[in-house]
Amino acid sequence: MISIEELKYLAEISKINLTEDEIDKFPSQLNKTIEYIDILENLDSDESIALDLYEINFDELRNDIVKKSDGQPIIKNLTEEGFLRGPKMK
Amino acid sequence: MAYEVVEGIKDQQFTAEQYVDSIIKRIEDVDSKIRSFITVDTEGALSSAKIIDRKIKEKEEMGSLAGVTIGIKDNISTKGIRTTCASKILEGYVPSYDATVITKLKQNGAIILGKLNLDEFGMGSTTEYSSFHSTHNPWNLDYVPGGSSGGSGAAVAAGECTVSLGSDTGGSIRCPASFCSVVGLKPTYGKVSRYGLISYANSLEQIGPICKSVKDAAIIMNIISGKDMMDNTSMNSTPIGIHSKLGKLNIAIIKELINGSDNDVTRTVYSASEKFRDIGYSCDEVSIKNVDYALPSYYTLASAEACSNLARYDNLRYGYDFPIEEYKWDAYFNNVRKNFGQEVKRRILIGSYVLSSGYYGKYYLKAKMLRSLLKSELLKLFKKYDLLIGPTMPILPFKIGEKIEDPFKMYLIDINTVLANLAGIPAISIPVGFSDGLPIGLQIMAAPFQEQKLIDASLALEDIIDIQRGPNTI
Repeated sequence: MISIEELKYLAEISKINLTEDEIDKFPSQLNKTIEYIDILENLDSDESIALDLYEINFDELRNDIVKKSDGQPIIKNLTEEGFLRGPKMK
Repeated sequence: MAYEVVEGIKDQQFTAEQYVDSIIKRIEDVDSKIRSFITVDTEGALSSAKIIDRKIKEKEEMGSLAGVTIGIKDNISTKGIRTTCASKILEGYVPSYDATVITKLKQNGAIILGKLNLDEFGMGSTTEYSSFHSTHNPWNLDYVPGGSSGGSGAAVAAGECTVSLGSDTGGSIRCPASFCSVVGLKPTYGKVSRYGLISYANSLEQIGPICKSVKDAAIIMNIISGKDMMDNTSMNSTPIGIHSKLGKLNIAIIKELINGSDNDVTRTVYSASEKFRDIGYSCDEVSIKNVDYALPSYYTLASAEACSNLARYDNLRYGYDFPIEEYKWDAYFNNVRKNFGQEVKRRILIGSYVLSSGYYGKYYLKAKMLRSLLKSELLKLFKKYDLLIGPTMPILPFKIGEKIEDPFKMYLIDINTVLANLAGIPAISIPVGFSDGLPIGLQIMAAPFQEQKLIDASLALEDIIDIQRGPNTI
């Protein structure tokens, strides 16, 4: 079960600031879901089960050809010099 | 119907421009009540229509979907038209490229009309989790249209576009198709390229059509399917024939899905199965052993994938106006990501939880094992039966606001649809009846790449039960 402390930790590793209302509401909402998915423990399974679901041929790669983008630049924080601006590290 | 529009324009009964004009007028008349659209591209649609009319005049090739107006779920990238995923975090995002499905539709003369509402990033079953507005069910405006492709379902039912595209991660095409009395098809995983579909849970989702007729669904599928070098999980497959007539098929009703449904839904689905018997199909009942684990497995995997896929929203490369000055590294990201809606936050947090140290084996690995077991079980059944059927949704559409305060209750209504996503198999929802004026859909599932069987059975049923596909009152 998730406590308020654990919720704050999950929010921290997920990089999301929660509001007071969310800190209040989320533990009981999330715990209902966790209680439900807990039944997976009862699944009759063993480690020999193959986990690859699809037969996908990943060998087929496209040729490495440089193409010119004809779209508008989508990088909104680009400087005039073409650098991406981010917040200060420290 | 799409095929009637193409014929009408080809035979010069009306021009593409006249048709697009009439659809835009329809949107202006009804969308203030239905609220299917996030963005309507009136100018772009009219300009595409003029090109088609010119091609007809000059006897040029006009494409097999010429003049067909298509609404696109707003998580599918459209070059030059903003694509928001119904999220504030992508409010101003305008893609610089088209998704492969959009390129293919345009090449065939289809007209992109605009972008349709959804639950934020596809997470929900009602469109109430859209950050912009809820969509209303055209059959009763107080009710939800289903979701997450609720805008796509409602717009088709209300006549605001000829056909639409949705995406289906755990039922998001079939649920609104069922709730709005239209046809919705989730293809086999890999049949349609996902390039340009903004990821929520990429091992589960597929793009597919929502239409007023089964024939339209087959036509759209044949355009959008196929191997795409931009999506390594896509594959080539046989086109769907409209008049294939595979003969009499063997069908089985999945007991667990019908037993847990509302009485009116159960009655209507049994009555549809009787119709199959009337036309010479065999119809048994079967049980699926692992069905109880399907939904917990789905929410584990979908949340884990969402947590990873949505980590990219850092607001630096695209996003909304939130200056970087004044903030340090982590504080900036934690603050901008506040803009996700509550349901998205809940799923990211659950995803972080099930993937965290000590829990991976308990949840994620078990969920993956269930996927394999379920797929094997279903494939075994498909050796004996051509199709498995049941209600698309276990309940009738419900009132807007009725379940919003209890997200867990909302999850439970996806119980019938998640099976197809977990196993990667195709599934269709077709209208089979009404209860108190609210639509009921039948779900039909087939083995991987057996869409032909889905279409054959659906066409056969459509021939004998004529269910209304759009309300007269709107």
